[in-house]
Amino acid sequence: MTSQGDSASRPAVLEAQGISKHYGGIVALDDVDLSLHEGEVLAVVGDNGAGKSTLIKALTGAISKTSGVVKFDGVETQIDSPSDAKAAGIETVYQDLALVNEISITKNVFLGREIVRDDWLGRWFGVLDFKKMDTEIRSLFGKLDVRIADIYREAEAFSGGQRQAVALSKTVMFGKRVAILDEPTAALGVRESKMAMDLVRSLKDHGLSVIMITHNMQHVLNYCDRVMVLRLGKLVAVRNVKDVDGDTLVGLITGATEAGAAA
Amino acid sequence: MTQLDSSTAVSNPGSEAGPFDVLKHNFLQIWQVLAALALIYGFFFIMSEPFRSFDTLLSIFGQASILAILACGTTIVLISGGLDLSVGSIFAVVGVAVGIFMAEWGLPPFMAVGLGLLMGAALGALNGTIQVITKVPAFIVTLGGLTAYKGLAEILASGRDLSRFPDAFTFLGTGNTTPMIIMFAVAILTGLFLTKTRLGSRAFAIGGNEEVARLSGVPVAKSRIYYYMLGGLLAGLAAIVEVAKLNFAMPARGQSYELYAIAAVVIGGTSLFGGRGGVGKTLLGMFIMQTIIVGLSYMGVGTSYQRIAIGAIIIVAVYWDVWRRSTR
Ligand SMILES: Nc1ncnc2c1ncn2[C@@H]1O[C@H](COP(=O)(O)OP(=O)(O)O)[C@@H](O)[C@H]1O
Ligand SMILES: [Mg+2]
Repeated sequence: MTSQGDSASRPAVLEAQGISKHYGGIVALDDVDLSLHEGEVLAVVGDNGAGKSTLIKALTGAISKTSGVVKFDGVETQIDSPSDAKAAGIETVYQDLALVNEISITKNVFLGREIVRDDWLGRWFGVLDFKKMDTEIRSLFGKLDVRIADIYREAEAFSGGQRQAVALSKTVMFGKRVAILDEPTAALGVRESKMAMDLVRSLKDHGLSVIMITHNMQHVLNYCDRVMVLRLGKLVAVRNVKDVDGDTLVGLITGATEAGAAA
Repeated sequence: MTQLDSSTAVSNPGSEAGPFDVLKHNFLQIWQVLAALALIYGFFFIMSEPFRSFDTLLSIFGQASILAILACGTTIVLISGGLDLSVGSIFAVVGVAVGIFMAEWGLPPFMAVGLGLLMGAALGALNGTIQVITKVPAFIVTLGGLTAYKGLAEILASGRDLSRFPDAFTFLGTGNTTPMIIMFAVAILTGLFLTKTRLGSRAFAIGGNEEVARLSGVPVAKSRIYYYMLGGLLAGLAAIVEVAKLNFAMPARGQSYELYAIAAVVIGGTSLFGGRGGVGKTLLGMFIMQTIIVGLSYMGVGTSYQRIAIGAIIIVAVYWDVWRRSTR
């Protein structure tokens, strides 16, 4: 469905080498390499507990790495906090940690990057420019066809699909280079999943390279260019999506199929 | 997560929430509190003849105002998911210190007030900093602060007669009206801070889900220190108004104020667990509490029984808060 051209031949935006994460004696992530190429959608698959979330948290500075280096545009970059990642143009939707239930959609979208008024009130007291934020959100939601009527309502009033749509829109608004999505369709119905995946595709159209964790093999085959498989914290295979089918992927995830040459 | 209203929420991306919607939304949030207030006020209105006068209403406000100033700070801290049990003791320290500044050092009132506010802010910030650095639960850190600051106030005050302050100072506590005006000014500023500023609005996010706030790039620790600092500052201001009103300072003042403030905040409908609330609710809660205290004393019920009544109401309010959270 998508352009599954040879994305591997394009230059890498984000590269990680030898990423490990230990929790005390537990090795959650063991010496994993990753490369994300310009304009591609890279799927990360693996069983529960395989280390997928840990990988993206370590990549984006949400947790500290035990070891490993991250390169951005080929240059080694220190990403030690979520702010470092954002500054580099990486926007992340973390699993179960996308929105604050208690605050409005507007405040959620701009959380951590609120727009303050362009006058002394803004400069001295950090008074917010709600008008500007509302306008930006409305134009963004219009552009992405996200239907949220009341952006002043608390996030908890919305369905899972709407919340995910808001979280994904946030990556379009702020992500300059890379969007990282941890199970964007988990807990969504069929129609809502389709909506979310259409948004994921439009991220690509907005010039973002995407890393997406998913359990849905159909989504991998239909929307992604390459796929990497994690098992028990280790990277077991990287493939071009056009070279695999669902059964092969499931085999790699469970360990029934042994990995051959990587893409 | 409830999905009430996803139908209206999906309707039309261009629709704007009008001022009426905002009012309605706010009213739906506080109607139970308003109903409780009407019931309680009505009860005393019927039961007690002298309660019915306008002067009584005024004195309810007047007596509540000092505690309400302090409770505005408590509102900020609780919304951010924090807790400061030491504000009653900060109140005592600042009261005594301001007394010393004027009665012993002979500082002009405006300087004494300025230094007192600074001291309150510094003590609050100290609580916040210790808590953020050590990650010891706020309950424990500020319980330590409660005792330690109380001790400090006693040391500072021992052997001193702190009274008879200049008129330019006692004016701050004149009658019921001046404290009331200060209270409303503080409440409005606190409300603006919470709803209109970056730092204030982040309190809701941090109290709602600290991890999401952190991952969104909010400097959580630094913000928390500011919230505690503001809590201390307002405790200091409350102390200053009280010292001005009484025209003396002593370290025993402020005892249990932190608990009364928390009670008022929670009765008003601000969550003890963070993320929700507002300063208007706190004023309502304070008004309810003070109505009960004044009403009971007009009915001849003694202070010890009043304490029991307030204690029971705190438990009901917290239970209600827990219940609302579980059914949301
Ligand atoms: N904070 C933590 N402390 C200890 N172990 C953890 C922690 N977070 C994750 N783990 C462990 O790391 C492994 C990988 O977890 P995770 O990355 O969440 O898996 P996935 O996202 O692939 O389901 C699991 O075995 C999990 O138990
Ligand atoms: Mg996960």
